[in-house]
Amino acid sequence: MPVQVFSFYIFDRHTECIYSKLWIAPPPPRPLSTVPAHTSNHELSPSPTATALHRQSAPPASTTTSAVGSNNGGGGAYRDSRSAAARAKDDAKLIFGTVFSLRNMVRKLGGDDDAFISYRTAQYKLHYYETPSSLRFAMLTEPGALSMRNVLHQIYINLWVEYVVKNPLSPVEHKNGEGVKNEMFEMGLDKFVRGLM
Amino acid sequence: MKDLVACPTLVFPTVDDTNTAYRGVIALLIINKAGGLIYNRTFGEGLNQLNSNDYLVLAGTFHGVHAITARLNPLREHQAAHYHAQQQHQHQASGSLGGGGSSGGGGQGGPLPSRPEPPSGLEVMETENFRLQCFNTQTGTKFLLFTDTMQANVDVAMRKVYDLYADYVMKNPFYQLEMPVRCDMFDRKLNSYIREINNSR
Repeated sequence: MPVQVFSFYIFDRHTECIYSKLWIAPPPPRPLSTVPAHTSNHELSPSPTATALHRQSAPPASTTTSAVGSNNGGGGAYRDSRSAAARAKDDAKLIFGTVFSLRNMVRKLGGDDDAFISYRTAQYKLHYYETPSSLRFAMLTEPGALSMRNVLHQIYINLWVEYVVKNPLSPVEHKNGEGVKNEMFEMGLDKFVRGLM
Repeated sequence: MKDLVACPTLVFPTVDDTNTAYRGVIALLIINKAGGLIYNRTFGEGLNQLNSNDYLVLAGTFHGVHAITARLNPLREHQAAHYHAQQQHQHQASGSLGGGGSSGGGGQGGPLPSRPEPPSGLEVMETENFRLQCFNTQTGTKFLLFTDTMQANVDVAMRKVYDLYADYVMKNPFYQLEMPVRCDMFDRKLNSYIREINNSR
């Protein structure tokens, strides 16, 4: 059964987001009034969706942020004033906070052996998997999706362990995602997730 | 219904611990729109008993998490763009009719002032040991129903609980809004309803 996957995140035991990837196309450009700077400044070509966003890790958002007009007059105008990369970063932090709070809540209520699996809203569903070493995987899919726990587990054992842990060049700690964004892992992940869709 | 099939001892002859047994509806929490816990009742085994302070913290935490989950929608920009396009379309349509004030403003009497669907926060959470169903009313009161992972028709139960709340809490002239619920009738009706659910399997 095909399932629409929106995004995928990995957090290390220091609560840092060390990998994230989106599978949703960038939103269509706003009609009229919002044309300046919104789409043109990014080097986003439409096909390699949002992977470009994650590559720019160190210098956050040298692109827009400045003269994006507020001539929009309402709605999502304030959103445009910040670059997509910064917003993606914020999203990752929010997702970690959510997942962390829910996990603690579940442990408190269900006992220490209980584990948080997923939550669903009307718009999306978040799946969660945590390894014993506190590596956390989160995946956002369409709300109707079945449990993706085994998928996350597969990603862990077949991709993470194979291409990141067993990579002699990869560091032990993945500060700023170092060692995670290697070609094999990225390709394997993309192939695997696109196979689900 | 299905009295014959539902006898748990026949279905699971050797169940001994509570984790795998049917536990039905385990607990109900009601959180007011400010994140304060106003009602807390446990109907069965299955969750750790917390002290009242921990429950208050839990309610507050959940309130915050609920707000965050509502704005994490990965498609929000797509939907916003879609909505925007629709608005423009309508604007042009109504402009050709009236041609009046072109200054910004939401729906100025267009044919159908449609709004984007408001983002819903967390609705269902699943863990290995239990399931949490959350119902957020129009006024921001949240009903949290903890059930076992196999419980079906939680929506119906939630609906009924909300009905009971409307009937026996909101219609109680002595109940103060947003304050802890202390209504005997509500307690009794709720207890009997939940017992009915838990015994019907």
